Amino acid sequence: MVHPLSWQAIYVVLLRELKRYWRAKARVISSVAQSIFFLAIFGLGLNSFIGGFSGGFGGIDYLSYLAPGIIGMGLLFGSVFSGVSIIFDRQFGFMKEMLVAPVSRTSIIIGKILGGAATATIQGIILLVIAATMGAFNLSPAFVIGVIAGIGAMLLISSGFVGLGVAIGSTLNDFHAFQLLSTFVMWPMFMLSGVFFPIDVFLPLPLQVAMLCDPMFYGVELLRWCLLGGGTNLLGPVSWLISLGVVVGFDVLMIGLGTYLFSRAQI
Amino acid sequence: MNTIEVMALTKIFDKKIRAVDGISFTVKEGEILGFLGPNGAGKTTTLNMLSTLLRPTSGTATVNGYDILKEPDAVRRSIGYVFQDTTLDIELTGRENLDFHGRLYGLDRNTRQQRIKEVLEVAQLTDRADNLVKIYSGGMKRRLEIARGLLHHPHVLFLDEPTLGLDPQTRRSIWEHILRLNQEKKITIILTTHYTEEADYLCNRILIIDFGKIVVMETPDNLKAQLEGDVITLIFKDPAAIPTLRHLLENKDWVRRINVVASGNNYAAISRMMQVAHGKSNNMGGAMPDIKEHTQQKPEHAVADKSIQFMGEACSKCLNLLVDNGGHRIPEIVKLADGAKIVLESVELRKPALDDVFLSVTGRNIREEEGSIVDMVRRHRIMRQARGQPVRG
Repeated sequence: MVHPLSWQAIYVVLLRELKRYWRAKARVISSVAQSIFFLAIFGLGLNSFIGGFSGGFGGIDYLSYLAPGIIGMGLLFGSVFSGVSIIFDRQFGFMKEMLVAPVSRTSIIIGKILGGAATATIQGIILLVIAATMGAFNLSPAFVIGVIAGIGAMLLISSGFVGLGVAIGSTLNDFHAFQLLSTFVMWPMFMLSGVFFPIDVFLPLPLQVAMLCDPMFYGVELLRWCLLGGGTNLLGPVSWLISLGVVVGFDVLMIGLGTYLFSRAQI
Repeated sequence: MNTIEVMALTKIFDKKIRAVDGISFTVKEGEILGFLGPNGAGKTTTLNMLSTLLRPTSGTATVNGYDILKEPDAVRRSIGYVFQDTTLDIELTGRENLDFHGRLYGLDRNTRQQRIKEVLEVAQLTDRADNLVKIYSGGMKRRLEIARGLLHHPHVLFLDEPTLGLDPQTRRSIWEHILRLNQEKKITIILTTHYTEEADYLCNRILIIDFGKIVVMETPDNLKAQLEGDVITLIFKDPAAIPTLRHLLENKDWVRRINVVASGNNYAAISRMMQVAHGKSNNMGGAMPDIKEHTQQKPEHAVADKSIQFMGEACSKCLNLLVDNGGHRIPEIVKLADGAKIVLESVELRKPALDDVFLSVTGRNIREEEGSIVDMVRRHRIMRQARGQPVRG
């Protein structure tokens, strides 16, 4: 295309994502509720169990340990699905309206990715507030800075996963594949991301390797670092800088891949 | 001046299906050109190439002076495309859909607001503009889509089956709308349809397309003039008597053609043509079930159109003749029927409609290629599947 990027096109696609998110209240409520169940049942349940025999979990509540991971889960699922939703745009025809306009596919997909990242981050902020009211975080002045950094991290984490969703959505034509995607991509990514237990040398080696290969692991590490700060010694062996690097690298890779596959996809 | 020039445009899907087969034509500024043809004839594929959504396998075209291969952006800015299937976002309101479109085409806020107001009025949707499209009726959605296609003031408007599946009243209002746009805004329009009366009513010229090739390109009047004579429809009290009278009429030199049904649904018409073609054996083999299935897939055609409804009711009991000097032949026909003790319920005389022309033009083709009706139906299926498959564009 002659014009590589159109800001107005990016903006309007983003705006549409936000409007649709805001109107699909049932979807928002169900995904927030799912996260609340995890926090309440696993968090509070395991908190008393683990806290009971070792006098704490790495110096913090299990709930505190769990909360950033559950926020990560919201980001992961929200952003992948919002990327994959291009299948629906295609199915219901709206994609044609965008593709026949004199704007590049890159503009459309960047709008889509920003929109997906924004809605996933809104979801993450809702979860953050809920976790905070459940007492997961130490509400100190330093925490305010942590929250700001955390929101930035949320945007970075979700951008990459929307890109992944777009890449998958551009390749698959069939939304029955949703179920497969959820079982074989998203759940393993979520469970290996160190949400429930920290990575350490006592874990079986294959599990350690699998966790280190999971991009979401670094996302959760980054969120934990932002939201818990120095409050725990359970941060993994990777520093926040490496986590940030992996997350940004994953963004670049996935946004590139998503844009490429989308530009080659059918009408 | 030619707004559109098409040169040997060809699209081959999957290396074997020639969806569009080397077509060339021109469209003058301010003209309404209709593509008339059955499903799978290549109409939409042609529009998709002209709108730069699909890359031609060979050949090219210019739209508003811009080459579709070299200047796709300029082509896109020059055109509005109203797709066959709805492409509205039903989770947004009518106004939001228009606003989205305006921004996508780079209109600034003031222009956008003013034009949205303008097109909403033309589409008579002003008071429903802030409702979600989800709750719009079929006709409202269609009007909104046409309105949206006009928002960026295109020079050329592509309308793919603009009234498919709409009730006669809505259809009528959309036709008037299209004519108004053409006359007031001087927009050049290409529309595809398989309703012959739509093509007849709206188009300055009609391009009949079948198997991806242009069969004929003419004004509606010239097309109709090709069929000289009159159409007489005989309606029988007892359909069982039809073959007897047909046999008697077949020998008369003033009878040019005999069809069991004259107009309406293309598939029904073509299948009837086949019956005439295979007349004596009366054996359709495996073709009939295929056709039936095919016509049933799109029941809305039958409901959307009064004349088709009428034909549907009547066709099992009627016989159509193309004759010279129709008015004078009616007494003779009645006498023949009386002699054979056949009771006619009524007799109608009319001038040939475009339906009859279509039948005549495409029907002859089919008869030349023996047994091709089965291939044709099969091919339409393949085409439909091919459209749903990934196309590198």
